[in-house]
Amino acid sequence: MRWLAIHLPALPLEVLGLGHADQTPLAVSISRRGERILRCNPAAADCGVRPGLGVGAARALCAGLRILPRRPGAEREALERLAAWSLGFTPQVSLAPPRALLLEVAGSLALFGGPESLIGRVGEGLADLGYQARLALAPTPLGALVLARQGWSPVEGLCPLVPDGPALRSALGGLPLAGLGLGLGRRELEDLTRLGLRRVQDLLRLPRQGLRERLGPQRVDWLERLLGESPDPRPWYAPPPLYRGRIELPGEIELAESLLFPCRRLLLELAGLLMGRRAGARRLDWRLVHGDHTETPFSLGAVRPQWAPDLWLGLLRERLGRLALEAPVREVRLAVTEIDSLDLGSPEVSPDLFPRLAGAGRAPDPALLDRLRARLGAESVRGLALIADHRPERAWRWCEPGESGAGIPRADRPLWLLPRPQPLEERQGRPWLGGPLDLGQERERIDTGWWDGQEVARDYFVATGTRGARLWIYRDLKGPRGWYLHGLFG
Amino acid sequence: MSILQSPQRLEAGEIPQGQSPSAPGPRSSTPIESLLDRHPGLWRGRAVGSTLPAGVPTGFAALDRELPWGGWPPAGLIELLVDDPGEGLGLGLVLPALANLGAAARWLLLVDPPWHPFAPALAAGGVVLERLVVARAGEAAAWAAEQGLRSGACAAVLLWGGRWSAAALRRLQLAAETGGAPAFLFRDSAAARHPSPAPLRLGLGTLPGEAGYRVKVIKQRGGRPGALLNLAVPGDPVGRASARQRPLGRPHSSRSG
Repeated sequence: MRWLAIHLPALPLEVLGLGHADQTPLAVSISRRGERILRCNPAAADCGVRPGLGVGAARALCAGLRILPRRPGAEREALERLAAWSLGFTPQVSLAPPRALLLEVAGSLALFGGPESLIGRVGEGLADLGYQARLALAPTPLGALVLARQGWSPVEGLCPLVPDGPALRSALGGLPLAGLGLGLGRRELEDLTRLGLRRVQDLLRLPRQGLRERLGPQRVDWLERLLGESPDPRPWYAPPPLYRGRIELPGEIELAESLLFPCRRLLLELAGLLMGRRAGARRLDWRLVHGDHTETPFSLGAVRPQWAPDLWLGLLRERLGRLALEAPVREVRLAVTEIDSLDLGSPEVSPDLFPRLAGAGRAPDPALLDRLRARLGAESVRGLALIADHRPERAWRWCEPGESGAGIPRADRPLWLLPRPQPLEERQGRPWLGGPLDLGQERERIDTGWWDGQEVARDYFVATGTRGARLWIYRDLKGPRGWYLHGLFG
Repeated sequence: MSILQSPQRLEAGEIPQGQSPSAPGPRSSTPIESLLDRHPGLWRGRAVGSTLPAGVPTGFAALDRELPWGGWPPAGLIELLVDDPGEGLGLGLVLPALANLGAAARWLLLVDPPWHPFAPALAAGGVVLERLVVARAGEAAAWAAEQGLRSGACAAVLLWGGRWSAAALRRLQLAAETGGAPAFLFRDSAAARHPSPAPLRLGLGTLPGEAGYRVKVIKQRGGRPGALLNLAVPGDPVGRASARQRPLGRPHSSRSG
């Protein structure tokens, strides 16, 4: 077993803000023995704010400091969404609340080209999502967690990669006892220090039985699981059948374009979930929540199931570009209610492989339709299909582009049909449109449709207009026998 | 890019012709030959036909003969100027080309057509309806057409109406070149007065008493403007009796011939 631990030290801050790169000093407080600072961003740290500081003192140090109460619920949600995202790397993911995830990656190492490459991909992905993360790879889950918590970060290239038990023992050995996470109180630590036990290796050297009596059986069990001497089964994270994500914005956003960045984070999370399930989505439901709790909903659609975040982001950019925000946005929500598994043989699954082949001899590229629809609206981009009916207005229908219909091609029909027949004046017994219309020799009678109550009885003529345009007109054989313009030959 | 430069080179080729008597060549007998000797890079208008990419057959033999591409320019803006774009005149002129282009796995995009394109007539003209996309774009018409052209996913884009600035037309022309597809723009004939970057501009009218088009070449890059053609649409329904006798479903062959 190979465990990759993802430790998210700044999670309490990150679920509230756009990220640690924010310029305004921001801190999260908890109410434990008075209200204290739990985490702060670099801008606040520059002013001297530190975790553990009282709120009053923090405010005194940094005048512009924004202190927000901790949101454990939001942290848990974010952790679960990250778990769903990391399914793109391995099917076996376990939550390690409050701020860590465990990925069992033994089966994924070869696929991703070795531990360094895998860790690089995970680290980059997390940074892309806006999370600060520390990673560690170890043979036991607790070992990975402990090492990840120690402060190595993949950015500095110092991610610990521990291949086996003995290496784990030596990697842990040098750690101070206080940082191990054994849950030792201050008094107990002092007692151990007086005995000369400062580091983990000092503890491990002692006989287990004596240790059990001194520290209690639970802590020794924990140590044994840490070292892999006893099994440490973990519950696997089961992804929800649907995706629901939301991001609370640190401030109100008034420009629709500025929403792209937070929305991208949701799309990346969704992509991980979809990739892990070898699935795609055809419809994304967005909701922009305003300060007064009103909402602006909109949807993005794709003709075929898609997972690639860049594709969705492109569609989103078009959509946001024509969105007029009526009020500033406080929160963005994304819901995907239908997930379709991808056809693994189709080129869309790996769009970077053979992109040229994707279009050859097949249906045209649906991505163009998606892009047009994102801006124009789904109902404004349509195809045409035939229907087998003699009534001209019922001989065709709008359809999904690419869809086929069954009907009769007619060379004797005009290329244009008016949405509804336009009544023509009649002067001296002849139809009139800016002048008298010349009727052709031929007359075609269409008298049909008695069965569905939409009966038509008409005599059609090809007429020539005053400027030479050829028109398709008919005389209604029912009622007042009026003349109508129905089509143009173009 | 060579296509873009050709009109200027045409002028350059004509001006020295008038001055030539004052510049006798060292070896050649005629002034033109002497010029060609002295300036081997000098470009002659007649040669252009061979350097242009092969066009998309228009379905009208007389028009194919007239156009330097031997058909519609395969990638570029084509302006079809009509008295009233709202009458939809000219779709029949493009129809055979649409039928040919429908064989590729690319869309045929119609942006803001003036009326409902009538599926039975299009199908009879040989258009593959499954390739057809009709977009209602309004103010975003230029954007939609550009998207379609630039994506390379369209075999042709047709647009109607709208006001077009020179910059918008240039973008459209560039998008058409990029995506390798013709863009047919149906415009009001009043626009003929204004210059355009389109390599081909045709003025369209009707033929009296017959189904077809009177076509005037307003501009063609690498060819001469001014030609007037009367193109009859074979088998179009003014002679309805003959249309009836044709087998339904495959009349395209007679149209595009």
